[in-house]
Amino acid sequence: MVFGGTKTPAMALTNGLANASIPTWEPGNLMSRWLKTIFVTILFATLSGCGGSKVMLHDPTIPEPLIDQMPITVVARFPEEFDNFVHEEQVIGKEKWTIDLGQANKLLFTQLFGSMFSDFSVIANDADARSLPIDALIEPSIDAFEFSVPNQSQTDEFAVWIRYRIKIFDNEGVQIANWPIAAYGKSQTTTFGGDNALRRAAVLAMRDAAALIIMQMDKETGISELSAARARQEEAPPTNLPAEENLQSTAAEEPPDDSL
Amino acid sequence: MIRSNPGGLSQLAVIALLGSTLGACVTSRMENVRQEATGIAEGEGVVIMAKSYHLGNETEANFISCIGDSIGRGSSGLRVIPNREFVDALFPWFEPRTAPAETKGLPALMARPGVAETIREKGVRYIIWLDGDTDKVAGGGSMSCAAGPGGGGCFGFAWWQKDANYDATVWDLTGLEDAGTVSADVSGTSFLPAIVIPIPLIARTQAKACKGLADQLKLFIVSDESV
Repeated sequence: MVFGGTKTPAMALTNGLANASIPTWEPGNLMSRWLKTIFVTILFATLSGCGGSKVMLHDPTIPEPLIDQMPITVVARFPEEFDNFVHEEQVIGKEKWTIDLGQANKLLFTQLFGSMFSDFSVIANDADARSLPIDALIEPSIDAFEFSVPNQSQTDEFAVWIRYRIKIFDNEGVQIANWPIAAYGKSQTTTFGGDNALRRAAVLAMRDAAALIIMQMDKETGISELSAARARQEEAPPTNLPAEENLQSTAAEEPPDDSL
Repeated sequence: MIRSNPGGLSQLAVIALLGSTLGACVTSRMENVRQEATGIAEGEGVVIMAKSYHLGNETEANFISCIGDSIGRGSSGLRVIPNREFVDALFPWFEPRTAPAETKGLPALMARPGVAETIREKGVRYIIWLDGDTDKVAGGGSMSCAAGPGGGGCFGFAWWQKDANYDATVWDLTGLEDAGTVSADVSGTSFLPAIVIPIPLIARTQAKACKGLADQLKLFIVSDESV
């Protein structure tokens, strides 16, 4: 319907469509095109939710810890997975989430151990540490990585659980500790948005692990005593017992954490 | 060309009547329990922290920001040290896992290398620990919406009630003691009547709790009343 000779938007649109090589025009055709357009838009909007999200976390840093360094010489050997760690989580009937930590774990442990020990360096993952003048070799690894998204938890929170394992060897290659660590972080979507919230939750979980290691490592593994043990070993005559027999402070294997 | 539409006018009148009758309502109660005398000097500030989620606390991040903003605003605003700056400067002693849960852990914390010096440098006199959250506790009604080529609309009525319960515990880092607690209990009921157009009458429960708690906290800290 046209009032006073002015063109309605519908007419203008119709003219445009007619110019675009549509041979005939009927009101029903235009309406069905609008409905199709709306339907296709809704379909794309719905399907895009199933495409999945990928979150990258390549440069996590922890603040410089306010701690006294342990006066021991330590090297770390990182597993290959620390070079490129990617975890995927398929939410049943919903979207797929991928978190790419890249070298984040390597950076975290390098920074953390560098702050904790007076003399720290990283060796290649195929290097033999027994020939090095060190007190301890640390081998961290990831046992499990999980996260939950708001669709799963029915909250507005992303949560990340990381289960690390820290193995410590003395200067002769004898394992003195095998310590599992369960770390947790969570973040709300309302504050950071989906991707940022998951990234923030992962960072918080890594900070949680770092805090736990700083607080408990010496108590759980007795790593600070390795320096004195090596000194005694170097001073003692060769007939003495090997140093590792005096070092039975191996951390007990904790039962599996059901929360992971 | 304007055409009169008696039906539309009556609908508007009904909606207006509903709105005025059922306007969202909020009830609030603020309380404080003082254990020690407080006060704040020039250059001293506060930091707002959430109690640890390792202990099951669910305080929303936006509520923490709101309290920080509100306490720092206005002519009587206090100096608020940003939460993340404080936590990073004292890493790892205020992480969710390691933060002291009670004031009796403060002397040991302050004895750790660099902690007392960093707190002094930042000028933090009080730590305000927030605990609590806002929950939907009840709701009802029904509403249906439909759309077609000729238009669309909604009909029905829905309501929901939210309770915001928060406690703010104030620690004085000068005396290493618990100065007291300020509490906010706010309950709000929102309504959503719809006759063609939904009219939301939203009770801003959390915002009310934030403003009330922040105002009380400011008074609590600056007040020099003795116990």
